[in-house]
Formats: sequence, structure tokens, C-alpha cells
Amino acid sequence: MTSSDPSRTRGRVARFWERVRRPNREHVEKLKERVPFWFVALVLFGFALLQIVLNPFGFSDLTQRYTQDISNLLITGPYLYPATGRGQVTVAVVDEATLHDLQMPWPWNYSAHARALDALLAYKPKAVVVDFLFVDSRPDDSLSELVEEIARYKKAGVPLYFEGGIDLPFGEAPLRPELARTGVPILDPSIETYDGVVRQYPSSGRCFGRAGLAPGQCLSLAPQVYKDIYPAHPLEPLNGEIELVWGTRTAPFNVTYNSRTSPLPCNDDTSFWLRIYRAFFDKKTAVGRCPYNNYVPVEALMAGGYDDDLPNLIPGHIVFYGGALQGAQDKSFSPVNGNQPNVFVHAMALDNLITFEGRPEQNVMTLFGTIFSNEPAQVLAIVPIILILSFLHMRRIRARRRRSARKERSAVVEWFLDKGVENLWHWLAFFLALGVGLLLARLVGLSVANWVEDVFISVELAAMLLIGVPDSFWGYLHHVAGGRPDGITKEAAS
Amino acid sequence: MRRMILQAALGCAFALAAAPAYAASVECSSLSGDAVLSARTPQVDLYDAPNGKRLKSLDDDKFPKCLAVTQRAPNMMLQVTIDGAAVWVPPHMVNYRLAGKKPAICRNLAMGGNNATVGATRALGEDCPQKKATP
Repeated sequence: MTSSDPSRTRGRVARFWERVRRPNREHVEKLKERVPFWFVALVLFGFALLQIVLNPFGFSDLTQRYTQDISNLLITGPYLYPATGRGQVTVAVVDEATLHDLQMPWPWNYSAHARALDALLAYKPKAVVVDFLFVDSRPDDSLSELVEEIARYKKAGVPLYFEGGIDLPFGEAPLRPELARTGVPILDPSIETYDGVVRQYPSSGRCFGRAGLAPGQCLSLAPQVYKDIYPAHPLEPLNGEIELVWGTRTAPFNVTYNSRTSPLPCNDDTSFWLRIYRAFFDKKTAVGRCPYNNYVPVEALMAGGYDDDLPNLIPGHIVFYGGALQGAQDKSFSPVNGNQPNVFVHAMALDNLITFEGRPEQNVMTLFGTIFSNEPAQVLAIVPIILILSFLHMRRIRARRRRSARKERSAVVEWFLDKGVENLWHWLAFFLALGVGLLLARLVGLSVANWVEDVFISVELAAMLLIGVPDSFWGYLHHVAGGRPDGITKEAAS
Repeated sequence: MRRMILQAALGCAFALAAAPAYAASVECSSLSGDAVLSARTPQVDLYDAPNGKRLKSLDDDKFPKCLAVTQRAPNMMLQVTIDGAAVWVPPHMVNYRLAGKKPAICRNLAMGGNNATVGATRALGEDCPQKKATP
């Protein structure tokens, strides 16, 4: 080491700092053109990773959920989601009109519930799920009638399910011990909400036994019912949440039934384009008003066998027996029907399982035996798009270089050419991402909500490439690191 | 000829389909007004009051036919007299006939689009049966 070394180092650092602060614009512009493929891909990948993983300003979540809603309203609900499950699921509802007409104020005693369940049994349903919690030890002599009703279901060979209370503050039994001791299956009734809207459904839940809460994890309500009742199409292993597809083609019975007395129709029939406009700009007017699955008032059941509709709605159907009561805090918003009782959430989840034959849309994907959650799945999905866009970008740079060597075009031609390329570029990114997303949805059952962000990010990446962000970044970094454009000597550069 | 056979077949099919309804309507023709015709479910529960306690269950073959309905409760339970005792039967458990117009069960299902939600909790329990005081 010589005595001049420190001063040389100082000089180098000073020049470096000078280039950082005041880069030579001309040099940067020239160095831009030498951006390598790997750098373009890396910058795009970093940007995509930032958006997917860090979820800045909640942008990822909001995009996903908003798009899921719009997709439900405009595409999957009206056109892609078949009505297979709709014809097999019915909800028998204790609503305000039931209480009023029967003059039976809420809450009902066990005897009344037993009678309602017995009225259901008379129609020979495929299975019945009771969506009421029997947690409190009410002093009610008629409890034995409900116990006996469970025995009648067993005798008739009709599966009957009860639900267990969760997060009970004082250690109460999830289901009254007298009922649990009958051995009736007890299921976890949890549902998932995001900002008050139900878009996902849990795939697993707590286990319950005769003695109450049991250790371990069991299937949640709808998957368990599906697994028991539809062995012909086995339930695929569920590893994440079920992404609910909300049907928009309301059950024909509901439409007819509602039209008899209601001044409002179940759905506003509009043209395709008006529906699109409403979905984006006035969503409230685009959503339906009636539940998707068949709605049967419990009083119609209890009235006996003279109803013409019930023989088409109960026999051979899976029936949810639940409530739609004001102030009972058992309602949630659905993306396509507004506010509705939670019993319809369970019904929709089962509907999805039946329709997709045990392979519901999920927020995870399984590739070669490995489960990828939402974020890694999106990162994986965006990689091929990044590689293709980067490759095309490099070709574009080379073509531009060749073009500049030839004679110049007029400004008007140049402007139109640029605009055309710009549009083409955005659409290319859009369709690339859409194609990859649809492939994922089709092949590995990844829900729209979990790949749609890739579409937005791809368009952003295309915009970044158009304005040359990675190129500029490379030019600047290269310049700061001491890189020199071709034909510029070291002395001239310094 | 072919047309006649077809018509005869259709006639037979109609007669077969209409037979239960016809049987039910001619059954208990001696009773005027509301009537319970027969059991509909394998067992028929008998109650002491419209919202009361179950007294016993009768197997369908032991349940008497053609009972006059002496009273109808708002919750649709039907009062009949069996073995001299007035009891209430749930209508879903029996085949019955109503003399007047059947009550219509209507619903306004078009409510879901409403974005408003209740900001209160229902005061559950106002109708809980009270434990009888032991003497």
C-alpha cells in the first residue's frame, strides 16, 4: 500500500457520490439500452413480490375481494355456476311471519322444534341439518320430545345433524348433554366473514362428541355433510378455505313464490350491459333480493300435507332447518344477495360442494403433492408472465435500436405506432395473466380471488416496461457503479 | 283403433292417479266440516294443548279414522276427541280436510338486497316456560 492510496480511495468515493447525486443523463440514457434480460425480470419480480406479499394499503386484499364479487355477479354466478346443487338443497326457515302466523313467540320450546323436525321427516328428506344452537339448559319438560325425535330420525334412516356452540364463555356444553348423549352428530357451525361479507367457508372446525368438545380437528359443517351423504363423489382433501361461488340464478320456486305477494321481484332483469354498468357503478342495484336456495317457511311444513310445492322441495333434498329472526344476530352479507340469514351460507357451501362434486374452489393449490397457499401460488403464477414480458421487452429494445439506425419516420406515424404498441402491450399482459389464472382455476381449483391480482399486477408490469422503469434503473445503477457507454473513455467519463 | 287404445290408457292412468284423492274425499263423507281422515305418519302424537305437552303417541294402525275437528289452534294444531278425551294432533301427522278456505302461506322473499341490519339484540327468553314451584 502506498501513501497515495487513501487519497485515491477518497477520490473514487467522491466521484461515486457525485454520480449518485448528479448522474450524467446522457450516459444513463445510453446505458439503459444495455439492460440485460435477468435484470428486467428481477425488477419485475421484485415489484410483483412487493405487491403480493406486503399487501400495501390493503390493495391486494381489496382487489381480490372486489373482483371476486364482480366475478360472482357478472360471470360465475349467472353463466358458469350450474344449478346442480340448487336442486338438492332446501332451507326450512323459522321467520318472523312463522312466529306471527302460528302465534308462537320466540324462543320455541323443544316440543315445537321436535314438531317442526317431525314435519320435515314426514316428507322423507335425504338429511336434515339443525341450524339452531341448543346450548342453554332451559327448564323445559318437553326436552324428551326432541330426544325422541332424534330417535325417530335414526329409525327412519334419515341423517340428522346438530350444531355445537363455540367460544362459550362459561364452559357450557356445546349441545345440551341430554341431546348429545343420543349420539347425534354435532358439527362446527363457524363461518368466515371479511368486512362483514361472506366469501369464504372454513374447511375444518372443532370436533364434538357425546361429552362435548373433543380434541383434534374435524371437517366443518358443509364438508362433513357432503362427505356423509355423497360418497359417490368423494370429498377431495381440503387444505385451506373454500372460496364460495355464490349463485345468482335464484331458485325458480323462490322467484314464483315471491312474485305471488311481494311488490319487489327477486332479481331485476336487465340487459347484459346495464348489469355490467350496475355491477361496477351501482352494485346495490345489481345484487339479487331473494336467497339462492329454496326457501320453505316452517309453517308450511307444520300445516301438513296439502301443500303442492313441498313434495318438490323436501323429499330427497338436504334440508337446513334454521332461523331468519330479527335481532338474533345470525345474518351476514353475501356478495350477490345482500344481507341474509347465515343458514343460507351453510346451504351455499353445501351447494358448492355438490355442484363441484367435492372439489370446491379453494384459496390454496396443490402441485405435485405440495400445498401452496394463496401468496406463493400467486408468485408462482406470475413468474411465467414476467419471463414472457421480459423476453418480449428485450426484443422490443433490440428492434428499437435497429429502427433508430434506419431512417426516421414522421412524428404522426411514430405517435400512432407508440400508441398501438402501448395498447397491444397492455392487452398482451392482461390476457397472459388471465390465461395463466384460468389454467390454475381449471387444473388445480385455485379460486378467481386468489389469482386475479396477478392480472392487475401484469398490467402494471407492462406499464412499467413501456415507460422503461427497469431500463432506467439499470442505466442509473450501471452509471453509479462506474459503467461507461460505448465509445466513452474513462477520462471523458470522469 | 290405436287412438282408442291410447285414450283408454290415458283414462286408466288418470283414474289410478286420482284414486287416492277420490278415496280421501269420499272417506268420512258422513262428517261435515273439518275432519281428520287418517294417520299420515307411522306415529301420531297426541298433545294436551296446542302448545302443550305430549301425552302419548299412537301407531298409525291404532289411530282412529274419521274424527271431527272440534277446534283449530292458531299454530294449526287440530283438536279431536279420541276415546272420549279431547286431544290435539299436529296436522302434519294426519290426513285432514278443511271445510273452509285453506289458509294461504305467503312470503316476501325479496328482502336480501336491503343493506340495513339490526343494531340490537333480540330479548330472548321472554316466553321461557317457568319452572313450577315444588309444593
